[in-house]
Amino acid sequence: MSAQPRFKIKVRNLFFSYGENVVLKDLTVDIPDRAITAVVGPSGRGKSTLLTLFNRLWEDIPTARMLGSVQIHLNGSHRDIYHRSCSLSDLRRSVGMVFQTPNPLPMSIYKNICFPLKLAGKSDRKQMMPAVETALRQACLWEEVKNRLREDARSLSGGQQQRLCMARALVLKPEVLLLDEPTSSLDAAATEIIEQLILSLRETCTIVMVSHDMAQVERVADRGLELSDGRVVLK
Amino acid sequence: MRTERLVQRLLGLAAGCSVAVTLLIFGFMVILGLPLATGGTFFRMFTSAWLPHQGVYGIAPMVAGTLSIASLAVVFSVPVSLGCAALISVLGSGPLPALLHRLVRFMTGIPTVVYGFAGIFLLVPLVREWAGRGSGMCILSAALLLGVLIAPTMILFFSDSFASVPRTYLEAAEALGATPVQKLLHVVIPCSWRGLTSGVVLALGRAVGDTLIALMIAGNATAMPGSVLEPARTLTAHIALVVAADFDSLEFRTLFACGIILYLCTTVMVIFTRRIGAAWEQQRW
Amino acid sequence: MVTRLIDRSVTAFAWLSGLVLTASVVGLMGYVLIKGMGSLSPRLFFGNTAPLDALLLRRQVFDGIFPATVGTLTLVGLAIFIAMPIGIAAGIYMAEFATPRIQSVFGLFFDILAGIPSILVGLFGFSVALFFHHRVSDRIAPCLLISALSLAFLVLPYLIRTTQTALENLPRHVRVTAPALGASRLQTIIYVLLPQALSGIVSGVILSVGRCAEDTAVIMLTGVVATAGLPSSLLSSYEALPFFIYTISAQYADQAELMRGYGAAIVLLAVCALLFTLATLIRHRLADHLFYGTR
Repeated sequence: MSAQPRFKIKVRNLFFSYGENVVLKDLTVDIPDRAITAVVGPSGRGKSTLLTLFNRLWEDIPTARMLGSVQIHLNGSHRDIYHRSCSLSDLRRSVGMVFQTPNPLPMSIYKNICFPLKLAGKSDRKQMMPAVETALRQACLWEEVKNRLREDARSLSGGQQQRLCMARALVLKPEVLLLDEPTSSLDAAATEIIEQLILSLRETCTIVMVSHDMAQVERVADRGLELSDGRVVLK
Repeated sequence: MRTERLVQRLLGLAAGCSVAVTLLIFGFMVILGLPLATGGTFFRMFTSAWLPHQGVYGIAPMVAGTLSIASLAVVFSVPVSLGCAALISVLGSGPLPALLHRLVRFMTGIPTVVYGFAGIFLLVPLVREWAGRGSGMCILSAALLLGVLIAPTMILFFSDSFASVPRTYLEAAEALGATPVQKLLHVVIPCSWRGLTSGVVLALGRAVGDTLIALMIAGNATAMPGSVLEPARTLTAHIALVVAADFDSLEFRTLFACGIILYLCTTVMVIFTRRIGAAWEQQRW
Repeated sequence: MVTRLIDRSVTAFAWLSGLVLTASVVGLMGYVLIKGMGSLSPRLFFGNTAPLDALLLRRQVFDGIFPATVGTLTLVGLAIFIAMPIGIAAGIYMAEFATPRIQSVFGLFFDILAGIPSILVGLFGFSVALFFHHRVSDRIAPCLLISALSLAFLVLPYLIRTTQTALENLPRHVRVTAPALGASRLQTIIYVLLPQALSGIVSGVILSVGRCAEDTAVIMLTGVVATAGLPSSLLSSYEALPFFIYTISAQYADQAELMRGYGAAIVLLAVCALLFTLATLIRHRLADHLFYGTR
């Protein structure tokens, strides 16, 4: 392994638009490794869009267009994630994402966590359980659910569901974790737990989160990026 | 990745086959009906009467039968459907409109042949008594029954398009003190005319395409109908009756002319409703 | 004053329309139910044959609707067996793989196929049978297989549309779950989208079954006959309930036969009502699922 780079993600001259509506204009920004970067700004200015650019999740939107390059340091070197040689599935396994609303699948808690492993073709049952336990522990959910792993994931509370989604993203040991307003649908108590969790993950991966809550950004983030008129203002 | 492409091909093949069936249905009719066009009888057929004993196989009476029964059915059905849709989505309150909605949805599942069966033994005698002449199997009976049959299509379409009128418009009208009827007349109906038109066209298509009601109720006479109390034969019923009688003759070939007319009618209606729908989508954005 | 008058009359008209419609449907169906209720018994199905003998195919049933019921069941089963894989596959293609251009062109064709009078599908089946009769083998004539194929074509567009809509209506947050975890397009469809859209697809299939069971126009051109007994092979002619009802209404020999017609109408109505209720229940469960389930 080569030495860790200073910057995990390098965005160069990025333009992004939905149909006529230009969201990002000539955006150039570096995102530091093993740190929490928060993207802030008023809604509708392309914050969530910026996140989906890092795992190419915007590509199924028919009218969306992109120009420029995004490089992410994966498996020891910076790679252009929009290059043809870059596998979409592999990219998304190394760059996890958690959404605004918790989206557990209609299956048991255990199966939800196993799901990404199954997708990646890892079907060795003996390795599943330790992986699930590690992920749930990382997401601070293990103690609450260890006796009910076979229950429907949708029976959990909203905050627990969101931590389940974090665990599900963590089970693949991603290098980057994208969080799209992860606490916006939760109450204050659940938000605090999630914030603690985010801070504890800082040593394991590079986190980019979107938030509209300035106080939260102050509490959690190492660095803030403000999007304004499609460009970035460092905070 | 390779399996993915293979699966995509297979799925595409299924879709392609379904498209091919649509084209094949038309192609078969054109090929089998072609001898008519080359024989020069194609256009005469639309204007002349059906006199098989004299070797004249005109389908003009059937065109007239289809047009009169289908349009009359729509005329009967539109006001009732409009009333029901208004009751369901705007004017009604309490449990009855909801029940009506459920009944209308259930009506879409009632077999046409059961409607026809009930019509023969209940409606036809009533019409016969009321008219005081004939057998009761006539354009009027068929149109009345067909009106009931196509009502759910219209009601469901109407009430859906009423329901898709933006809430803000309704709130604006309410804030200005509009009564429910005023909301309906001045906001809901003007805003959903596209849905209303599509619904009527769709119902007309169903009325033109229906075979059983006309076959069972309309009397199937091949003479040009003179009034709504006379029996008539529709294009669809004509296809059903002649096939049952004969195999490979000029008589049989005229069926494909009937088929082509019906197919083209459907295509025009589908394109029309799709256009309206597309324009409507655009407006919403 | 004028406003109040308009208000009153429009409201009255709406209620009147509701009443007229309800009265017609309840009148028509109630008439069949009341007249035919008395004929509902095992005798309706099996006539003078012992039910057990008929069910075990030991003896033929001549004066009951058993052969027609079996004919309809076989026919519907075959038609759905043919239409379901093609319809669902095409629906998945339309929702998940087709480009917008293909979607609109193919969609136009499916709308036309859904819109053309069913008698034309029957005429097509008849012409195909005739074509094969002349060109391939004179053993081929309108038969059970041709009917089933034609019915399959008839319900194909419904299956495609319901599958396509069920998939397209899945909210975006369900749609992105699996890709964000590294799933390929195929994995997303198999593990997430199809299971979530299942109830919509299944209720579409059930409605198609109802459509096959009630259709008369297609089968009357493609091989159904008034008396055939039980279908002996795919290439034989057969009896079916809706056609039985149609023939009775056109010509019945005696009161007993007419009563069998009423009985058959009630049976068919009950079957369709059952299928309809089933489809509605399943779809409602889908709504619950999407509403409470994934929030």
